[in-house]
Amino acid sequence: MNWFSRGIRSAFRNATRTFALVIILGLSISLALSMLIAHQAVTQKINNVKSSVDNTISIYPAGLRGFTGGGNPLTSAQLLEVSKTTDVTSVAETLSDRMTSSETNLQSPISAGVLGRRFARKVGGLGGVFGNYGGQSFTLPVIVNGTNDPTNLSAFSHTGGGGTFTLQSGTVFNSNSNANVALLGSSIASKNNLKVGSTFTAYSTTITVAGIFSTGNRFGDSQVIMPLQTVQRLTGQTNQITSAVAYVNSVSNVATVTAAIKKELGSAADVTNSIAQAQSIVSALQNIQTISLYSLIGAVIVGAIIILMTMIMIVRERRREIGVIKAIGSSNIRIVGQFMAEAVTLTLVGAIIGITFGVIASKPITQMLVSSSNSSSSSSSRSSLAGSGSGGNFAAHHFSGGHGIFTRVKHDISSVHAVVNFSIVVDGLVAAIFIALIGSAVAAYFIAKIRPAEVMRVE
Amino acid sequence: MLKVTDLKRQFQSGDTIVNAVNGIDLTIPDGQFVSIIGQSGSGKTSLLSLLGALDKPSSGSIEVDGRDITKMNGGELNQYRAKTIGFVFQSYNLVPNLTALENVMLPMEFLGKPKRDRIERAKNLLHEVGLNDGEVLRKPGSLSGGQQQRVAIARALANHPKYILADEPTGNLDSQTGKKIFNLLHDLSLKEKTTIIVVTHDLAIAGKTNKSFRIKDGRVVNSTDRSKT
Ligand SMILES: Nc1ncnc2c1ncn2[C@@H]1O[C@H](COP(=O)(O)OP(=O)(O)OP(=O)(O)O)[C@@H](O)[C@H]1O
Ligand SMILES: [Mg+2]
Repeated sequence: MNWFSRGIRSAFRNATRTFALVIILGLSISLALSMLIAHQAVTQKINNVKSSVDNTISIYPAGLRGFTGGGNPLTSAQLLEVSKTTDVTSVAETLSDRMTSSETNLQSPISAGVLGRRFARKVGGLGGVFGNYGGQSFTLPVIVNGTNDPTNLSAFSHTGGGGTFTLQSGTVFNSNSNANVALLGSSIASKNNLKVGSTFTAYSTTITVAGIFSTGNRFGDSQVIMPLQTVQRLTGQTNQITSAVAYVNSVSNVATVTAAIKKELGSAADVTNSIAQAQSIVSALQNIQTISLYSLIGAVIVGAIIILMTMIMIVRERRREIGVIKAIGSSNIRIVGQFMAEAVTLTLVGAIIGITFGVIASKPITQMLVSSSNSSSSSSSRSSLAGSGSGGNFAAHHFSGGHGIFTRVKHDISSVHAVVNFSIVVDGLVAAIFIALIGSAVAAYFIAKIRPAEVMRVE
Repeated sequence: MLKVTDLKRQFQSGDTIVNAVNGIDLTIPDGQFVSIIGQSGSGKTSLLSLLGALDKPSSGSIEVDGRDITKMNGGELNQYRAKTIGFVFQSYNLVPNLTALENVMLPMEFLGKPKRDRIERAKNLLHEVGLNDGEVLRKPGSLSGGQQQRVAIARALANHPKYILADEPTGNLDSQTGKKIFNLLHDLSLKEKTTIIVVTHDLAIAGKTNKSFRIKDGRVVNSTDRSKT
């Protein structure tokens, strides 16, 4: 048996104390680890959000909230000016509408759901769309987006649910088309048994299905996309626009172009860009990042202090024993080595417990940090948090949140995911050993100070 | 041969300075069985600590076979403690969480002896001091005082030291056990050709040694040589 195995054995000399110490140490290590994981997850998210900053500027009529709220629609003339703004490369224009059962023979594939009905009741008074909202049966309206950029779902994600446009069959109409044609989402097409070439009725007009597409989300697959001019003509809203997205030639010009468009449109429009959106998310995330960093540092310091105090306590307790070992010819280094082995053993056992706890706890802790910060941050960030279940989701997309900003940016705080990878665990172990060695280095100082002559004293 | 010249050790105790060892000169030839006697507080333990290099003198020299141990560095002192000296303490001072066997193996580890040799030597010594195979694997806490002191003697002899320094080795034992322990120490040192320096209050024990030094106030006041008579 050499000094190393003596150290390991010494770690379990006092079973009660070892147990208590290892549990406390384990808790501080698990806290440190979950904070490290949370910190990494949030940092990753911040980077994602930052890198997602794109070259788009969203333009909405002032005061519009999805389909609710007041405000006058924007006009094609206004958007023509926008498109002429320096550095703007193109403008995607959308006129969105909801077709009720009296306006179309299409049936929405989305069932209302409990939450949907509640949202509908809340906002029904504003538009009076859901005449029968209190009853057992009411039909959800069908969303139609008139657009000059049909395959660019992000241009009308606030009503269409976003996603990526994938044409399943048929063809896409031209951007300046005025024909009575439509692209149907795959869900609404199958719900109504429609194929390419089939017809349906909307606004008392026969519309031909030109193509069927999918978006990757159920809500997006339930919409109808038609040429902008067609929707303007059929709804009697010539030259009117409910939303637009301006594309800027470079991300670095977005801020100045946003300002120019704001100046151009004045109080008629709400003009936002993804930089501002990203910033509000990033600032909320940075709070979490700070909290998790300080908690991490705190937990590491606590762990270090625990092992330090324990080692000092153990050295004091075994003062005589250390003196004896010195008196019979051991070098200080050998004794210090034994205590280091003991400290590392204690810490490693604590670390194994801590890492186990930490890995289990990191996801709920990250989620807790994120959601507590989320509810205290700006209310607009809740848009994509509201509602779950299809009906609720439907209502949430439509009736809460400003312009669906966060669904368009496709980032929100709640989607921070804690990832436990092997390297974190290894880092944690290395850090634990490091702490143990520092703890025993201080113990070593006290060990060196013990005079072997002390053992001659009779107790 | 051990030669002590004008050895002094002062302790600062508050404002007063205690001259625990106050100018000791003595010479101990090899193979002797020597006792140090004197009243409580006379400086016996202090002297033994200096001889065993557990403490450093304020002045003076301790020559062991011509080498002055007061001038040794840390590594040399460790070697000296491990190899040249074997200590037997009044309060046994065994390592509590090691078995009797492991306690005896410990000093051999400091000299880098192979494990097989350590086990064999430790077992032989423990059998010689009178422990059976079961007792060898027990920890000090479950052994009697006499048994613990036997283990301590075995540990002191482990590295074939030139000197055994024993500070009242029978002080914690009843007189009968004390006598047995003393005889054991005597017999083994004869067998191993070890010089023994034992501090004792027991004049009956001192009377059996080759030579006695009486110490008072840190000085040798009397020495009795029995080897010639
Ligand atoms: N570490 C110390 N600090 C201060 N004074 C000390 C120290 N060690 C010993 N002394 C003093 O030195 C003197 C000699 O002590 P020492 O222990 O050598 O006596 P001793 O002869 O062994 O006595 P005893 O028979 O009681 O064991 C005493 O006065 C004691 O108080
Ligand atoms: Mg004494």
